[in-house]
Order: sequence, then C-alpha cells, then structure tokens
Amino acid sequence: MLQIKVLGPGCPKCKTTYNNVLEALKQTNVEANVEKVEDIEEMMKYNILTTPVLMMNDQIKVKGRIAQVSEIIELLKK
Amino acid sequence: MENQSLVKEICPTTTQEWIKNGALLVDIREKDEVEQLAYDVPLLINIPLSEFEDRYTEIPKDKEVVMVCKSGARSLRAAGFLVNHGYKHVVNMQHGITRWVQKGFPTKGDVSTETGNDSCCASSACC
Repeated sequence: MLQIKVLGPGCPKCKTTYNNVLEALKQTNVEANVEKVEDIEEMMKYNILTTPVLMMNDQIKVKGRIAQVSEIIELLKK
Repeated sequence: MENQSLVKEICPTTTQEWIKNGALLVDIREKDEVEQLAYDVPLLINIPLSEFEDRYTEIPKDKEVVMVCKSGARSLRAAGFLVNHGYKHVVNMQHGITRWVQKGFPTKGDVSTETGNDSCCASSACC
C-alpha cells in the first residue's frame, strides 16, 4: 500500500497539506496509509529543513509549501 | 523544547559565552525577518532556511557553530541537517531571538517586532 507522510511541526500549513492529502485520496479512491509526522527526531532523519513536506513512499514530493489537492492528485496518478 | 538527542542545545546566556570564545552564529531566518531585527554579534552569517540546502557548505566545519532563528525550532532542523552532513561542532540555540531580546542581549533593528507572545507562525516563512 502507498505510504504518505506529511512532515512538519504541526502549524496551519502542515494541517492544510494533510487535509489536502485526505481530499485528494477521497477524489481518486486511491488507498494509502497517511501519517502526520511532527516528531523532530524523525524529521531530522529525512534532513527536513523547510516545512511542510509531503512524502510518498519515503520520497520527498513537495517541500516548504502547502501541496494543493490538484497537485497531489497528479502525484497519485504517477 | 523539542525532544531529540541528535543535536546539543544551549540557551541564549550560554551562547554569549560561546560567542566570546569565538563561535560563529548562523542565522537561518529569512531575509525579511533579518532586515526587521538582527542579532548583533561579531561573527555572524545569515543563510535563510529556504537556501540552506544549497549554501550550507559556506559554514566552516572546523569552527564552533551556533544555529539560531526566531524560536529555536527551524534552527534545530538546520543543525540536525549539518550533523547529518558531517559537522561535529554544531549546537542549536533554544528559544531564538525571542528569548535573546527578552534577556536584553544585543540586536540591530526594531525589537518591538519581538513581542514574544506570537507563535513561530507569525512571520512569512515560519516553520
């Protein structure tokens, strides 16, 4: 199953990205495990600098800004 | 403060001692934040977090380095990034310029921007 992570300290931009992921999954009926990562030690493992970060199967797809629903849908199609 | 063991953290008062001993301060806030209010210390470079991945090698590896920002959160991630890239003499300053100002330590610019009660999300590129 697809693993999706949204990494960030839990600020408004992180929450918006997380909600956009859920919306994109709803619109595409794609099954995925979605995790919000706010733990600093985990973020450091991935060398996260600017946040939020959207990761799919441990690959950084979007960093330092909100990922839009349409953008996430495109990423899900790949 | 953040729960982690990768990076050593020090407070603003201890940072003053490190500066007296020749440590380099690396401020990772964005340019607009630095233009409003800056740390006033002898050895300081500003590498915004949004440029850090491309410019971190400007930081010397053989020098004591203290990473700083507004609240200590973003600088901690930058410090972790440096440790993961082989830097041995890096620490993070907890609480950032917010506590620095509260302590009356030297700055340049408008300290009124630092009320200390807004979360890190107040500025343009907060987290």
